[in-house]
Amino acid sequence: ASKILLRACRVTLMRRQHVLLRTPQRVMSAKGIPTDEEQAAGLERRVLQAMKKGQDPYSILKPKEYTGTRDDPHIVPSINNKRLVGCLCEEDNTAIVWFWLHEGNPQRCPSCGSHYELVHHELPH
Amino acid sequence: MAHQAHAYHMVDPSPWPLTGAVGALLLTSGLAIWFHFHSITLMTLGLMLLFLTMYQWWRDIIREGTFQGHHTPPVQKGLRYGMILFITSEVFFFLGFFWAFYHSSLAPTPELGGCWPPTGVTTLDPFEVPLLNTAVLLASGVTVTWAHHSLMENNRKQAIQSLTLTILLGLYFTTLQATEYYEAPFTIADGVYGSTFFVATGFHGLHVIIGSSFLAICLLRQIQYHFTSEHHFGFEAAAWYWHFVDVVWLFLYVSIYWWGS
Repeated sequence: ASKILLRACRVTLMRRQHVLLRTPQRVMSAKGIPTDEEQAAGLERRVLQAMKKGQDPYSILKPKEYTGTRDDPHIVPSINNKRLVGCLCEEDNTAIVWFWLHEGNPQRCPSCGSHYELVHHELPH
Repeated sequence: MAHQAHAYHMVDPSPWPLTGAVGALLLTSGLAIWFHFHSITLMTLGLMLLFLTMYQWWRDIIREGTFQGHHTPPVQKGLRYGMILFITSEVFFFLGFFWAFYHSSLAPTPELGGCWPPTGVTTLDPFEVPLLNTAVLLASGVTVTWAHHSLMENNRKQAIQSLTLTILLGLYFTTLQATEYYEAPFTIADGVYGSTFFVATGFHGLHVIIGSSFLAICLLRQIQYHFTSEHHFGFEAAAWYWHFVDVVWLFLYVSIYWWGS
């Protein structure tokens, strides 16, 4: 393991000599440790970039609360043109009312009548 | 291209759980073979398989997290829970040995002379090497915190220096403890005193070695720019583990070395 440590140190030092100009540009935070902005990749990067813009395409945060009336329907984001909705008509209900929500006109829960509206959104990629 | 609409990591199929299980089987049965039939082949095979499993499994996790970006905030949260639960289980592991120690030392039997330390046992002076060991581990707790702050403040040079210092202190502790073991006037076979002393401090020493290795891997990764100032959970897990090792030592020192002397 110490050989790996020495080799890594040597390679890094050699790199530093060759690429004196490149390093400051690559690691903008002046003292040498990259930030997520510079280095995050893949899904993590997409999540962080979306959060910076105030978006939550991967449903990480709790959904916003709506009253469910005709003027303030529950907004249901979807990547397809329909999505399954499970309505807890009242708090603590154990029987969930499931139904497909289609794009277009808002639908109402068959049990309690709350309004739901599908809103299309794209995944970042 | 079909992307997932959630932030979790559905892991690809992997052979390492199976190789790990086989390795554990070979190690345990190999131990039994060693005890009874004087051969270390099976045990060595099991150990090698386990080390290969750990190397490749954790290498894959680094690939998935650092290089491929699968460790989104929710995934990281799960990893944090996992590490905390693991350390908690280790706490209970040590609790058992402390229970054993206090069971025997609070009510010493007539066979021991009705006293603790038992008749005939020359204990180690708690204010000599054990006290130095305490200082070494406490100092390493400071240096690992220094490393963490350096990481968060984008200070590469200091992060590497303080992490290296932490590992050196850990190695120093191990060396000191090894010489203590060699020079001790009593052995593991010296009644319940020897048993409780060497099993408790022995497992602690093993955990120091594990913790130092974990920190050493973090040092290698830090040198290779894996960590960012916001996302460095591997390092945080190693630091948590290291603090746990330090706390166990403090309890060992106060209970066995000091009160028990």
